[in-house]
Amino acid sequence: MRDLKHLLYFENLLQEANNALVAQAKADGKVCIAYTCENVPEPLLNLDGTCSIRLSAPHTGSLDIATYYMTNLLCEPSRALLERAIEGGFSFADCVITPDGCTMINRAVENMELLETMGKNNPRFFHSYMEIAFKNTPNDVDLSVLQCTNHILKPLQENYGIDVSDAAIRKAVADHNRICELIRAIGEFRKEQKPRITGYEFHVLCLATYVCPKYLLIDKLEETLEELKTREPEDKEPRVRVLLVGSEVDDSGLVKLIEEQGAFVCCDRFCFGSYPGRVPIVLNDEEDALTQVCRHYIQNCQCPRMMNQEKVYGRKAYVAELAREYNADGVIYEQVKFCDPWAYERTLGSAMLQHDYGFPVLSVDRPYNIASSSGQMRTRVQAFVESMEIKKIQRGGNA
Amino acid sequence: MKTVEKVVNPVKRAGEQSPGKIYNENLKVRARREWRGVKDTFYDYTRWLYLIFVLARFIVVPRNIKGFFRYRWMMSYLFVPHGMDKFTIGLRDEALRIAHTSFNFVIADVTQAIANCFRGDRRVGNDKAYSGKCVITDENSMVTFMMGFDTDKVHTILREVPTMFASNIFHQFNVMHYLDIAQQYGIPGDVCPMPEAEAGISIEDDFCVLGCCAVQNNTTCDGSLMGNGIIAKRLEREYGIPTYQLATPLRHKEPDVLEYAAQEIKNAIEFVEKHTGEKWNWDTYFTAARRVNDATRCRIAQMEINSTPYPQFFGAAFSLYNDTNYMGNSGRNADFVTIDHKLLALAQKGYENKRMYAKEYRHRAIVWGVQPQYVIDMLYWMVQCWGVMPLTDMLSVINTDMIAEVDTPENREQAYRDMAMLNMEMIMRNHTHGGFKVLVDDLWELCEQMNADIVMMWEHMSCKALTGMHGQFEEQARARGIHIMWVSHDLCDPRVFTRQAIRDQVNSYMRTVMREEPLDPSLEIIPDNEAY
Repeated sequence: MRDLKHLLYFENLLQEANNALVAQAKADGKVCIAYTCENVPEPLLNLDGTCSIRLSAPHTGSLDIATYYMTNLLCEPSRALLERAIEGGFSFADCVITPDGCTMINRAVENMELLETMGKNNPRFFHSYMEIAFKNTPNDVDLSVLQCTNHILKPLQENYGIDVSDAAIRKAVADHNRICELIRAIGEFRKEQKPRITGYEFHVLCLATYVCPKYLLIDKLEETLEELKTREPEDKEPRVRVLLVGSEVDDSGLVKLIEEQGAFVCCDRFCFGSYPGRVPIVLNDEEDALTQVCRHYIQNCQCPRMMNQEKVYGRKAYVAELAREYNADGVIYEQVKFCDPWAYERTLGSAMLQHDYGFPVLSVDRPYNIASSSGQMRTRVQAFVESMEIKKIQRGGNA
Repeated sequence: MKTVEKVVNPVKRAGEQSPGKIYNENLKVRARREWRGVKDTFYDYTRWLYLIFVLARFIVVPRNIKGFFRYRWMMSYLFVPHGMDKFTIGLRDEALRIAHTSFNFVIADVTQAIANCFRGDRRVGNDKAYSGKCVITDENSMVTFMMGFDTDKVHTILREVPTMFASNIFHQFNVMHYLDIAQQYGIPGDVCPMPEAEAGISIEDDFCVLGCCAVQNNTTCDGSLMGNGIIAKRLEREYGIPTYQLATPLRHKEPDVLEYAAQEIKNAIEFVEKHTGEKWNWDTYFTAARRVNDATRCRIAQMEINSTPYPQFFGAAFSLYNDTNYMGNSGRNADFVTIDHKLLALAQKGYENKRMYAKEYRHRAIVWGVQPQYVIDMLYWMVQCWGVMPLTDMLSVINTDMIAEVDTPENREQAYRDMAMLNMEMIMRNHTHGGFKVLVDDLWELCEQMNADIVMMWEHMSCKALTGMHGQFEEQARARGIHIMWVSHDLCDPRVFTRQAIRDQVNSYMRTVMREEPLDPSLEIIPDNEAY
């Protein structure tokens, strides 16, 4: 296929956290809100005058200083974020919102706070930590509303004079939905037998919507969508189609590596992915917007820290449903090493997807920066692709 | 660096002077028991016989014999008489009596828990009527939500305590098998081995199966929360035991989580009422609340004694007793009140008589972090070998607030908030979660309050909440002039750190940093790596 016109532009945006669009947003006078977890309702961070930047640490190399502070027993993303913060890579942030989602990321941000890595010349800078829901019950929605009010909206209003009214939230949701619709429309092309977008290209576009100010991406995304409508796909179908599920993937190199082995990543169900992060939020006029946004995030949340059984089993059913919808031949469950929540989720998910839903599953752990150790992953994916091809042949299909 | 005044014991210890000599390289148990002089040896022996009696009384019941042969983990309890001696190294006088009084009571409690499990277990006793009134809870769970159920009508079964937690204390290798099972299933080896072992037990179907329902909790950490999913799958899907997940907020110091937590308690109570058919009784609750307050007062008094130059109740007996009383009991059993006061009276007597546990106390230590299950005698060893007195451990630094104990309409609403508060501040998570202040700042405050010059920092390598603050501990200890002695371990997997490897970290620190010689060189290296 011909390269997408703006692919390089989007790829360049992913080379560092403090990218060109972040600088532009700062120049526009936006309050840049850094955050660390998919459980934070994004529209609340993208009210008028603000923009959200999900923290990531591309091209992570040495983790020496962060390892001194957090030991080598914590997951690499948490150490990479701390290392990058110490290096000054997040100096653009005007505040940091951190939910107590997983212990390690939470500790990383606490270290950032104690080491005063951000906000040195900004008297209005603040760190805010919040409790997030464990279950999808009305009590959890109430908790979420209270937490978002006390730990996102109030500090934004008090420190930066941001309008946090119901109307402002509704407008933010509409803007958020525009991005979601664009990403979802682009992602739909992955359902085709001969897809006209690769999993890697899609991940680059989707990832940009997390780590860049969204309002600055819309024109390029719209253009890309138009371009895709007439893009000629490859003549040959992919060897196999896989659904990638797991912990945070903010390194598009992982998707690229998987696709280099002959698997097409037809769907993404991970942090920084389009499921569930780019599912539009439907609001009604009867209830306040904040409650509806909170409920949307709780109901759609696929994070393993949601602990009630409906959610535990629901997460596996959701993966199976996506796999069917996107015609996946198999599922790759991945987990960043030392991630406790995904260690268990990957284990149970792999077992259930295989035994209860009948999908071939590759269950792997991986480093944060796949380039630091790609050989093992390459071998595992190659073997998985071949095993699925053999199964296809045995079933009488085309290899 | 901060220093504390050395306290020298003017009284020579009766009997054995070098208890390290009783360890034997070729045996799984010690070569012989410790000689403590006539009076204390006699007392120690009678208490040891009492333990044998408790175990014999348990095993003569036919269904318990059946259970003994059904469950692999039961083997650990063969070593209880040996295990008790781990808590009494070098102890004499009141100290010996405190250790026996507290720990024998804990053992009796655990024995009763096993008997209860076997009674209702579908594979052993299969007492259906009894099982129909049993509620299963996690090992690390506060049972506050059971405080208002009459104990003769609804039975709380902490089935993971005898299966994993206690059994690992008596037999260091017991858990390895279950860890292997969990890892064969696919759980990585870098998660906390405690919930991993519990998941392994469930995967192997080696838990007793009983109860009309179960209540799980996001107790201590992400691993603990996640392990519940695997256990609940077997409970619900295979055995049809409805399971409720009691969500407990992590940021427990924030006032805006309390109402959520209180509502969760209400929901859990409703769930138990529905499945047991029994009603919550406010008289029972407030009676239990009074006991909780009484236990809190006793614990505060014990901590005050430990702040003086003559600490009395410390180490594993202190933490395990608190653990059992605070979390597993939560005021439901009246017997704990008697024991609490007996222990306090012994400690007060010991303090008045200026009793010391070793030849001298050179340092005063706060023990922070989580201790390994298989070196449960470590703190007794530390004071005997190096004169480092452990004043308290992190797991024993728990709630000091009183809860509402009088039955009024307002207090009934307050009761839910009190239960929620206790639940959120359950052992360990009250420091490892809720922000860095409760983990780091609280430690320095405690050092100040108890006049400690050393922090003995258990670095449980899979405990991410604690190791995530490693550098902060280092830097802040240095700034405060407090020694910080890191002791790494892997909680319940002796393959990662053996017992001696753990002790050697203290030996190295004391020799190279503190430039000291051991008080009792016979204890510096103990050949017990292969012992139970």
